[in-house]
Amino acid sequence: MSDRITLTLRAPLARALDADAIAPDRLAALSAREISALELWDGRTVVALGDVFTVSGDRSPSVLLEGDLAQLHGVGTLMGGGTLEITGSVGNSLGARMRGGAITVLGSAGDDAGSAMAGGSIVVAGNVGDRAGGALQGASKGMTGGEIIVRGSTGVEAGARMRRGILYCASTGAGAGAGMIAGNLIVSGTIGDGAGAGNKRGTIVALGPVRVPPTYAYACTYRPPHLSLMLLSLRKRFDLLVDDAHVHGLFKRYSGDLAEIGKGEILEWQATR
Amino acid sequence: MDIRGVQIDDTFAEAFGMRGVRIIITAKNQKWARESANKLTGFATSVIACKCEAAVERELTPAETPDGRPGISVLLFTMDSDSLPKRVIERIGQTVLTCPTTACFDGLQDFPDRIAIGKPLRTFGDGFQGSKMIDGQRYWRLPVMEGEFLIQETFGKAKGVGGGNFLILAESADAALDAAEASVDAMAGMPGVILPFPGGIVRSGSKVGAKRYKTMIASTNDAFAPTLRAITKTELPEGVNSVLEIVLDGLDFRSIAKAMQVGIDAACRAGVHSITAGNYGGKLGPFHFHLHKIMSGDVEDAPKVEAPK
Repeated sequence: MSDRITLTLRAPLARALDADAIAPDRLAALSAREISALELWDGRTVVALGDVFTVSGDRSPSVLLEGDLAQLHGVGTLMGGGTLEITGSVGNSLGARMRGGAITVLGSAGDDAGSAMAGGSIVVAGNVGDRAGGALQGASKGMTGGEIIVRGSTGVEAGARMRRGILYCASTGAGAGAGMIAGNLIVSGTIGDGAGAGNKRGTIVALGPVRVPPTYAYACTYRPPHLSLMLLSLRKRFDLLVDDAHVHGLFKRYSGDLAEIGKGEILEWQATR
Repeated sequence: MDIRGVQIDDTFAEAFGMRGVRIIITAKNQKWARESANKLTGFATSVIACKCEAAVERELTPAETPDGRPGISVLLFTMDSDSLPKRVIERIGQTVLTCPTTACFDGLQDFPDRIAIGKPLRTFGDGFQGSKMIDGQRYWRLPVMEGEFLIQETFGKAKGVGGGNFLILAESADAALDAAEASVDAMAGMPGVILPFPGGIVRSGSKVGAKRYKTMIASTNDAFAPTLRAITKTELPEGVNSVLEIVLDGLDFRSIAKAMQVGIDAACRAGVHSITAGNYGGKLGPFHFHLHKIMSGDVEDAPKVEAPK
């Protein structure tokens, strides 16, 4: 057993590969030879993991992925524990349906990061694509637990249909939090248009500019007590640069989506002098 | 044993098992946290009539609280598990929920035995309440006229110890009070311990039952009442004209023992004749705080005995 399993990309990927076999808790029980024999999918063709990556280390819940993996999809699918560090960028469906453990990406991630995840954490230093924390195709619920921290931007429909958990990012594309059932979307910068459409009980926290949809109604300006708790927790756990002015600041509360049950909210931070 | 001319009797304080919680109250500033804590811990000196014992444990800096605001930690104890949630819910509901700017958190996060506190209180929200999961804990947001009240769903339950005590036997009432105040000041802020009586001091120490009134649960400790020296079987040495008692409840034996060590040492000053402790021959409770052992630095736990259910 080694401290860590390192998978290093042998050569740049010419085509997309489906790599849902790569999850730390599954690799933790395998020898280097068994890991090399795991199957990756190239369209309809199976490729041995050892043909794509050099494998060093074995039987460890800590996994390091090295190389430009923007074409590698499904990494960390159904992950239940352990740590997965990716030194470059990674493809779509990172940590889809994951239940525990921690994924750290030093580059960016593709679409559907944390799709339908139920626990654990995903931290992305760069940007992520569309539908981060959202639902699987045709499913009614997006993420139901855990945290997704994106230090850069997210694409469209970030946190759409999320049920529980926290998605934090620097900015979003259009349709963020669309159809939220509950949960928390915290955006430190600009939120794209159409945020929170169809939101039932979810909370969208706008620390930067937001266009509040017409189906939300202003309630009051106040200090939401849960928000200081949440922001301090994120600062402590993920070393986020959360400003004290946000932690203890005033927020405008808009209730919505009133076209739905109206128990959701957009909390818009108010700069005070 | 003698400390600065004050005799430490070779006896022990007898204590019993209790169940307790640590309640963290935060507020806009220390004033409002204190206002709430003072109400929460009001009329909570003794389970004999108050049904619980509670007091402020210590003030908390913003860096020590979950929401980064000034706070106060309170310990509250009852004699059994069943009554603990009832006492906590009714007191938080009337004194923290009602107090401007406060929020309420569990101070025993690592304790696996949990009791629902925020969960039943959420119904005050009349269906408008909401909840948030943060770090694996659920918090309830109750809409109130001021804005929102936040309270944690469950609180940790500790197997605590109640009834730690020592008695300060002094030459005068002034000397007894000076020594007791010095003792309380020295113990202030010690973790895991509260002194539930007014100012931490008891003047009306009691004995179990009564000689004349058979329905009384407790009555005056006549053996230590100086005005009765001539007509009762007194325990007072010559020259003692006043006695004050310090009662301690705590989350564990060691916390109480350490506080007693500090408190007794501070009480050993001019005008004090001796320090003794209240016990019932070992019949009342399983926790025995031997004064000589404690003042010799031995503050380790007594034999483990289950508290009453």
